[in-house]
Amino acid sequence: MTAVLQDTRTTPAVAAPGRRRRRRVAGVGVALIVVLALAWSLAPVYWMLATSFKSSLEVSRLDPTLVPRELVAGNYGELVGHSLPFTSYLVNSLLTSLIAAVIAVFFSALAGYSLSRARYRLRGVVGQAILATRMLPLVVLIGPLYLLLLKAHLLDTYLGLIIGYTSFALPFGAWMMKGFIDAVPREIEEAARVDGYRRFGILVRVIIPLTLPGLFTTAAFVFMDAWNNLLYPLTLINTAQKQTLPPGLLGSFTGQFKTDWGGMMAAACITSVPLLVAFFAVQRYMVRGLTAGALAGE
Amino acid sequence: MHPRSTGGTTDRKRPQLRRLGSHLAVLPVVAVTALATACGGSGGNQTQNTPTSEHPVTITFANWADSEQATRPGIEDMITKFEAVHPEIKVKSEPISFTDIGHTMVLRVQSGNPPDVAELSGNDTFAVAATGALANLDSYAGDLKSSFIPAEIAAGTYQNHLIALPWTVNPPGLWYNKQLMAGAGLDPNSPPKTRDELMTDLAAIKAKYPDVIPLGLDSTNRDFSLTSNWSWMKSFGAQPFSGDKASANTGQMKDYLSWMRELAQKQYTSPGKKIGEFRPLAAQNKVAFVWDQPVLQGVVQSTNKETDDQFYANWGVAAQPTGTGGKSYSVELGHQLVAFNKSPNKQAAFTFMKWLATDPQAVTGYTVKYESSLPPMANPSADIAKVIGTPTLQAFARDVMPTIVKPEFGPTYSEAYSPIMAGVQSVMTGSTPVDSVASTIQSGLESAFK
Amino acid sequence: MVAPTLVILAVVIGYPIVRAILMSFQRYKPLSGLPATNTGLNNYHEVFGDPIFWESLRNTAVYTFGSVAVSALLGLLLALLTENLGGRWRYVRSLLLTPWAVPLIVVAFLFRYMLDQDYGVVNAVLRHLGIIHSNVHWLTSSAWAMPSVMLANIWTQLPFFFLIFTAGLASVPNEVIEAARVDKAGPWAMATRIKLPYLTGSALVAILISVINNFNDFAKVWAMTEGGPGYSTTTLVVYVYRLAFSSFNMGYAATVGTIWLILLVIFAVLYIWLLQRKSAS
Repeated sequence: MTAVLQDTRTTPAVAAPGRRRRRRVAGVGVALIVVLALAWSLAPVYWMLATSFKSSLEVSRLDPTLVPRELVAGNYGELVGHSLPFTSYLVNSLLTSLIAAVIAVFFSALAGYSLSRARYRLRGVVGQAILATRMLPLVVLIGPLYLLLLKAHLLDTYLGLIIGYTSFALPFGAWMMKGFIDAVPREIEEAARVDGYRRFGILVRVIIPLTLPGLFTTAAFVFMDAWNNLLYPLTLINTAQKQTLPPGLLGSFTGQFKTDWGGMMAAACITSVPLLVAFFAVQRYMVRGLTAGALAGE
Repeated sequence: MHPRSTGGTTDRKRPQLRRLGSHLAVLPVVAVTALATACGGSGGNQTQNTPTSEHPVTITFANWADSEQATRPGIEDMITKFEAVHPEIKVKSEPISFTDIGHTMVLRVQSGNPPDVAELSGNDTFAVAATGALANLDSYAGDLKSSFIPAEIAAGTYQNHLIALPWTVNPPGLWYNKQLMAGAGLDPNSPPKTRDELMTDLAAIKAKYPDVIPLGLDSTNRDFSLTSNWSWMKSFGAQPFSGDKASANTGQMKDYLSWMRELAQKQYTSPGKKIGEFRPLAAQNKVAFVWDQPVLQGVVQSTNKETDDQFYANWGVAAQPTGTGGKSYSVELGHQLVAFNKSPNKQAAFTFMKWLATDPQAVTGYTVKYESSLPPMANPSADIAKVIGTPTLQAFARDVMPTIVKPEFGPTYSEAYSPIMAGVQSVMTGSTPVDSVASTIQSGLESAFK
Repeated sequence: MVAPTLVILAVVIGYPIVRAILMSFQRYKPLSGLPATNTGLNNYHEVFGDPIFWESLRNTAVYTFGSVAVSALLGLLLALLTENLGGRWRYVRSLLLTPWAVPLIVVAFLFRYMLDQDYGVVNAVLRHLGIIHSNVHWLTSSAWAMPSVMLANIWTQLPFFFLIFTAGLASVPNEVIEAARVDKAGPWAMATRIKLPYLTGSALVAILISVINNFNDFAKVWAMTEGGPGYSTTTLVVYVYRLAFSSFNMGYAATVGTIWLILLVIFAVLYIWLLQRKSAS
């Protein structure tokens, strides 16, 4: 078998010229498609950057300029100046998303471990119930959730919002962690149990270190989901100083007077940075995290 | 089940591990508790009877002026100036965006923590009034009421009580660009008086300047938009509803809808846009006529840096071109101030509200300067009169103010605007027959009012 | 150990579901100042005769399945075409994933600006290239609004499918590929008959995740069109939000939501049953 493979793998130097030409054309074709894909992916990002440096007159021209006529840093300056609560939005988003990520990862690890290892009859059902909650129309829940937080005096507070984010993130997080924990061989756990560690200790000392990529990936997903969430802060937070970026941006720039596209794009650039950082940090593990649950566990 | 280790070292490890484990378990609980104590809800109000400058009372002021770039410096300046004049009152601003403030106030009333003062406008005032939470200002206002423009007082009256103090007067009028009119062969000092004249003028603009938008008009699906367009519906003799009775399936309403379709099809306007999106274009002389409030001037000048004189040379404002019935209409889109029954500081609240609306410092330093609006007084003092004596503000006061009517504000308005404006958008952007759209609006309203 | 998670979920998700279902049988309009009153099945009766409900259902289906289908197909194509590139390609590939990392609210406003009929760059470029003569009303015409919103959605989602399929293709065993090459399999046969079967597993998972996310997509649609013009981009999320927080018709909003919940449960049960059948075979 190997001999045959070797034969077919090597391309003879005198391969038919037709085939070589076809390969080159194919190669050029692929390169072209890659360039198109790059343009499609990055052109809007460039537009966002370019617009953020344009003056307010230039951004509302009927005949837009592809490259800014004059680079204006004023849009960014106004963001950090006191005339906008943008820095509050940024801090609030960072704070609530990070804390939600930490809390969600903690509980997800617990739940994921249980779903992966523990043996109890309803395990399958519980697992599917958890996944099913992910499918809920959140906008339907927001009304009663609002009333619930209202009674607990948690409306318009960071804690209330974090509770909302965490609840939204838990099912998915548990599912992801289950997938990552499934990949840890049971023998290691057995060895630890033989050494006398109790269940929780095994989790902390053995599982966690081996699934660190999984933890970070789950945390990154929760962070990104919380960062992107418009509906929850829009309804659960009332005062502008406690507001997060998505509803903050929605309200600030399409205000009563005019739509400030230059300022909006500057804010957009800054809003994108933490997410881009989180994304590229765990990019390698993303696929594993998303598919691990289905491919490994079922 | 598993054999326990008998080694000495592992025995020592176990209690340590257990402690570590329990520490970790406690962490999130501690974190959550810490958060809970660190951030509470919005603070309560002090209950004092006679505030003094040694023991000032703090009133909370929910507003959107402080959440928008253009007006933030102004309102913060006003608060500072007020506190200087009234050291016994401290004002804490709670910025809430314009689109949210209406329902936020309703929800806060329901959760039992309304502010002391709130800035509201249009239907929001009446949506909040319908909850019964607004303080009756008759006793506080007293003689002040008769010194205000009657239409403004009417705009703040609910069930025969004054519940909203008029603050800024800002009705839309027909702005016209003299430069563009002259270029298209129209007389720049003779804005259209009837709707037919308007259509002729729009055609002339379109023919001469293909890339200029002839008419700027808000046609979004917001209650603000219904209010702005109410005056146009009235000029057709149409009124989509009255109280909780829908009346959108009338011939007059269909005429109005047909007209909106004509505007879109002849490309006399850019459909689906907020009025704020036309303003930067107006600053570049890319819009010829705009149905907009006095605030257009402030936005245009801050965008293109024109001086006042340059602006007045370029723009004029007139009353709405008349339709069937020969009358012009406008609506009050200005801002109002309300106080809440639940507040223990209503007197201090009213002092602040009155200062903002009538004090010369506030009028010149904020109402005119930042909101480009008129004050609500019928006979303002000399120093105020001087500031509002500009050509455009005088045109508003003289020509537009007398045409103000009050739309059917109230609880049904919040449910009505969506079917109506969705229908308006549908005639402007689709091809469904007008009759069918009108009956869809009618059934939408009927179902909303049930 | 799964207990704490279940408790939290029960309180923060279970309670609202029950409350929402109960509200669906009530007439509750907070603005009126009146308390909630029971109206039995009246709301449900109304929903079935509500043309906006049916339109929002249709819009949701078009938006969700349309976006997922196009994103998945394009993602698959791209993954197949770039499968064998090596070396510096890895950096290029990271760049291709950028759209996925851009915050959704940013995507919404960015595309809204680019597709603006008056000062959008898309119209300007198309006009300069001679493809159109007058500005197209991308977001403010009933015909183009939904495709425009879907465009933004596809831009965001394409990298997700591209990544899933790339990883899936990388997991196809070498022996299988070599065996196929020995059999002189052409590129089309290679793709469809050899590689695709290996991708089905991850594809199904990716599609499920994507469909769920799209059903819940509020930020993009709301920030781009607020469901307009008219109701042409009003999806179920937008409709429920408008009913609950613009019109404050909470009882009716709960009814639409409950129906949506039932539909999703049916979909989820079917899908999971399908998934389990697949992994069992």
